[in-house]
Order: sequence, then C-alpha cells, then structure tokens
Amino acid sequence: MSTVFDSLRQFWFFTGFANCTWQNLAMILIGIVFITIAIKKGWEPLLLVPIGFGMIIGNIPMFPGLNIGVYEDGSVLNTLYQGVKQGWYPPLIFLGIGAMTDFSALISQPRLLLIGAAAQMGIFGAYLLALLLGFDPNQAGAIGIIGGADGPTAIFLSSQLAPDLMGAIAVSAYSYMALVPVIQRPIMLALTTKEERLIRMPKPRQVSQKEKIIFPVVGFLLTAFIVPSGLPLLGMLFFGNLLKESGVTRRLAETARGPLIDVVTTLIGLTVGASTQADKFLTGNSVKIFILGLLSFVIATTCGVLFVKVWNLFLKGDRKINPLIGNAGVSAVPDSARVSEIVGREFDPDNHLLMHAMGPNVAGVIGSAVAAGILLGFLG
Amino acid sequence: MRFTRTTAIAALLLAGACLRAQNLTDLRVAEIVAVNEHGPVDGFGQRNGWIEIFNNSNGTVKFGGCYLTDDKDDLTKYHIPASDRSTQVGPRQSVVFHAGGDASHGTYYTNFTLANGETVYLVSNDGRTIIDELAIPADLPADWSVVKVPAGVKKTDFTVGVSEKPTPGAYNGDVDAKTNSQIMKEKDPHGWVLTLISVCVVFFALAILAFIFTAIGKAGDREKPAKSPSGHVGKGAPTPEVAAAIAMALSHEDGEEVCAAIAMALEEYMGGVHDEESFVITIKPTPGSAWAGKEQGFRRLPR
Repeated sequence: MSTVFDSLRQFWFFTGFANCTWQNLAMILIGIVFITIAIKKGWEPLLLVPIGFGMIIGNIPMFPGLNIGVYEDGSVLNTLYQGVKQGWYPPLIFLGIGAMTDFSALISQPRLLLIGAAAQMGIFGAYLLALLLGFDPNQAGAIGIIGGADGPTAIFLSSQLAPDLMGAIAVSAYSYMALVPVIQRPIMLALTTKEERLIRMPKPRQVSQKEKIIFPVVGFLLTAFIVPSGLPLLGMLFFGNLLKESGVTRRLAETARGPLIDVVTTLIGLTVGASTQADKFLTGNSVKIFILGLLSFVIATTCGVLFVKVWNLFLKGDRKINPLIGNAGVSAVPDSARVSEIVGREFDPDNHLLMHAMGPNVAGVIGSAVAAGILLGFLG
Repeated sequence: MRFTRTTAIAALLLAGACLRAQNLTDLRVAEIVAVNEHGPVDGFGQRNGWIEIFNNSNGTVKFGGCYLTDDKDDLTKYHIPASDRSTQVGPRQSVVFHAGGDASHGTYYTNFTLANGETVYLVSNDGRTIIDELAIPADLPADWSVVKVPAGVKKTDFTVGVSEKPTPGAYNGDVDAKTNSQIMKEKDPHGWVLTLISVCVVFFALAILAFIFTAIGKAGDREKPAKSPSGHVGKGAPTPEVAAAIAMALSHEDGEEVCAAIAMALEEYMGGVHDEESFVITIKPTPGSAWAGKEQGFRRLPR
C-alpha cells in the first residue's frame, strides 16, 4: 500500500499543479487574453492565436529535466525554436511576403518611398530612448526595431542582437501591430488639418510588367550592396517578389505565399509564444520594452505624417500628398494603409487613399529591413 | 535566338569559371609548438610538437591530399590522406597535427618532428604550390608557440608573434575582444551618431531606389505607342494587361482564375476599369449567389 502512495506522491511532484507558480498562471492568463482578443476582436488572429497558445504551452509548470521545455536542448519544442533562435523563420516569412506583395503602387509613385524612410525614425527614436533607460546598445537596437512594425524583422534582429529579450520584443511588436488602428488614428487626426485630410491625389499610372520584374532585381542589388547585413531579409523579400512577377514561376510563388508562409507563421507564433516563459518574461525589462514599443509606434507615425506635411510645403497643385498616408510608412502591411483609407473616407467618402498608402506601406517593409541590416552591422 | 542563347550560356560558363570557391588557399599554418615539455599530450599519451591549421574562410575546406613539411626541398614529406573523410575544417575553425615522427598513428600525426629554427610549410595537393608557411624562431622557449593572430577589421589578416600560452585547436585571436555593442557604448553612449548615420543610409537607399524607378517609369512612358485616334483603349491592340489575362486564360492551368481572367480581359477590352493590382485576382463568393448555392452540388434525378 505504501508503494502505491509513494508512487502517487511521486506522480504528484511531476504534475503541473505541484510545480505551479503565480508567474506561470499570470502568463497563461495573458495567453488566454491574446487568444480572446484575436477571436473576439479579430486583431491579427493569425499571429495572436499561435502566440497566445504558445504562451500557454511555454508556461505549463513542469518538473525540470524532462527534456520537453523550449529551452531544454534537444526537446521537440527546442528543435522547432531553432528557427527563431538561429533566425531562419523570418527570412522564410519574408519570402512569402515578397511573393504576395504587389509593389505596383510603389513603382507607379516612387517618391512615396521616402515616406517609408521617414517612418523608420520610430526605430531610431526607440533606440535612443532605450539607451536612456540603461539598455546596452545591442539590446536598444533590438528594442528599437519594434518601431519598424514588422514582426519577422523584430524576431530576426532580436535573435541576433539580444536573444534574451526576444520574447518580449516579439510579443510587443505583434501586439502593437494589432493595435495599429487604435494607436495611429488619434495621432493622424491631431497632426493634420481638415483641409489637408481632403487632399486628393492623382490616380497612379499603370505599371508595366517589365517594371514589376525589374523592381525586385534592382531593389535587391541596390539595398543589399548598401546594407549587406540585411541580406537574409532583403534577399528573400525580393526573391519572393520576383517569383510572383516573373510570370514563369507561378507554382513557386503560390507555395511561398500560401502553404510555406502558413507553416512558418504557425511555427514562429507558437515558438515565440512558448519562449515567453514566466521567469524570462515577467521582468522589469519586459515592462520597459512594452512602453518603448508603444513609443516607437507613436514616433514612427508622427514622423511619417509630419514628413508629408513638410514635404507638401515644397509641392504644388495636384503633386501634393495627403498627409493621412504618412502613417502607412510603418510597415504593418496592410493595416496601416487601411487606417489611411478609413480615416480619409471619414472626411471625404469618395477619396480613396488605400492605393496611395500602399506605396509607403511596402516601402516601410524595405525600409525596416534596411534599418535592421544597419543595426546588425553596427551592433552585431 | 540561338545566338542569344549560346551567348548567354557562354557568359554563364565564363562567370562560373571566374567564381572563386572557398578553397585550399584559405588555409593558414596558424600556430606551432616545436618543443612540448609540459603541454597537452596526443592521443597516444606522448608530448610532441604540434602544428595548427586554421581555415580563414567562411566555408568548409577539405584539405585531404595536401602535404605538410619542414623541408623546402622536400615539399611532399607528409601526405595528408585524401581518403580520410575527416580531413576537412569548418569555417574559421582549426585542426591540429601532432609532429611525433610516426605517421602510422593516424591522419593527424606527421612523419617528421619539429625543432626550433625550422619552417613548416603547408603544400597544396599538387605537391608544388606552397599555400602557407610559418617559421619557428630559433630561440623559442619550450612550451611556447609561434602564432599567427587574426588582425584587421575583418580579422582575416594576421600578425605573427610568440605566445607563452599556446591554444591548440582554439581561436588565436583575443578572446577578450570587445563586442561591437561594447565599442559603440564607449564611442557613442547616447546613440546619436548611429542614429544619424542610420537615418541617412535608409533615406539614401530608398531615395536612390525612387530615383531609379522614376527614371525607368519615364523611359517606359516614352516607349509606349501613341494612342489610337479614337482614344479608346479597347478598340486598338490589346494592352499588356489584356494580353496577359488572355494568355492566362489560354494556359493549361484551368481553374477559377481562368474564368476570372477571361472576365477581366473582356471587361478591360470593352473599355472598363479594373483594379490596379494586375495578376492579383480576388474572388469573393457571395452567399446569395446561385453559383455558391448548395443545390448546385446535388445531382438532379428524374422523378
């Protein structure tokens, strides 16, 4: 009989109930909140559901040494986590993004690329603030990239510069990307006058297929030569786009933008969520990262809108740009462009800004990859 | 057409021939201990001199078939077995050869011993070309090594020195070297320099891209044929968009997209306006449409 009780006692020590701490419960609760937000509100469900469930997986209290945790070498979760840790999930996602992105809006109005550049100030603003808060430069760089509003880029850079902060950075980046409509709208309204919001931009010209094919090749060569450290992201982004536009690799493009990106998104979301174990995530640094992440989005949006306003001072007639597309310079594709459209139509229901906003929006993807390359070059 | 293809293949072959792979020339004789009195022992428990070979590239190098020697008049003194599959060294890694004078001990045991004042040569697998060499100072104390330390910005150049603490098989550079982050913390504690440079680079890169595509767009506009007198798009030759859509429709890959492409092509040809995202077709089923109705999937049996 005593053997039975001893065995049951031993079994008890292996259960999650015996090993549970309040931090585990807190993280599980956060995971449930993420899933709830994704399902109820529909905010970034493709990311928040895997991340939320990953948080729950990663915070199931367990007896150490069973070789099942995400940080235990050789475990299944650890093997899946290598794609995040070694940074090869993000480039695969960029391959899919390239294969699904139509750069026509940008090619037809190349000047809008500069708005995408201006919005990258969010990255460097957050970098400066993070240094002020006492983070090391490599950590500050990894935190700053949240302002790029690009989840894969944030994961890629933080896995290279500050792996310990990656969980908090990734969750922060994706959370604020989901909150783009909430964050950006008041800033856009505060910084623009009613007259500016009513500016109508000329219809973009039609882009030839030849230009669409040239764009990924020239874009890659140029950006990669300037910032070779951004090669994994830029290479995959433009390669994916070439698959899409070449017209002869349709099956490859469909795989890249379909099954491949779905698989990788699932795995990256799940493992990033699982990496947010309570002991590594519930720290003062995570709180600071969340605050800095929010500020980086605010700075990025502000700089994008203000840049257009200043630029407009030098433009005449129908060359003027509606500053409501300035927010789209952050690369949360296509959410921030959608915000431009929605806010624009609030004041003029017939003024469709979506196609114009897609220009700076996809420019933001390129800009944030370039910025990540620069930070990696300096701090890696 | 054939000429173009031949030229292209020739160009590719030429480019391939010009490519320089990660090869034997990336190997370095990186560290030598000639007199080993209190240092590490080899696999047979003996203390002998040793030679470290370092791969100065970012790719794996196979060195089977090469030679090691301490005699310039006999460059093929010790032949590294080409058949041994372990004879490769990873990027920025090193391997150690024990100079015990008995090659029968294994691949990594040379058939010669070392002495101060000698020079060790690493010879290519042709038996003639010296890849690298390292001279042992005549006055090198016992248990000291002569070592090549990585130097320069990319750590691919070397300075030769002597070391009281040899590091067989380990990186010869300063393991206490500061990281880029630490250097930036000292040089740019507030981050303004990095910020300024980074913002300029981002603007520069995207501005050049904008400039190039503005130019390409203008060139494309000049190439476009003049509009037909009627000015009606659909009445002249098909636009590239229309041609592409029709081509899609005629391709062997049948499916929903084919129907949509035909519809779009006709719409375009008739002078209609389509969305700007060519080649991206969105088909959204409408619940009320008969096309999506469940009854369409049922077999109708005669009563």
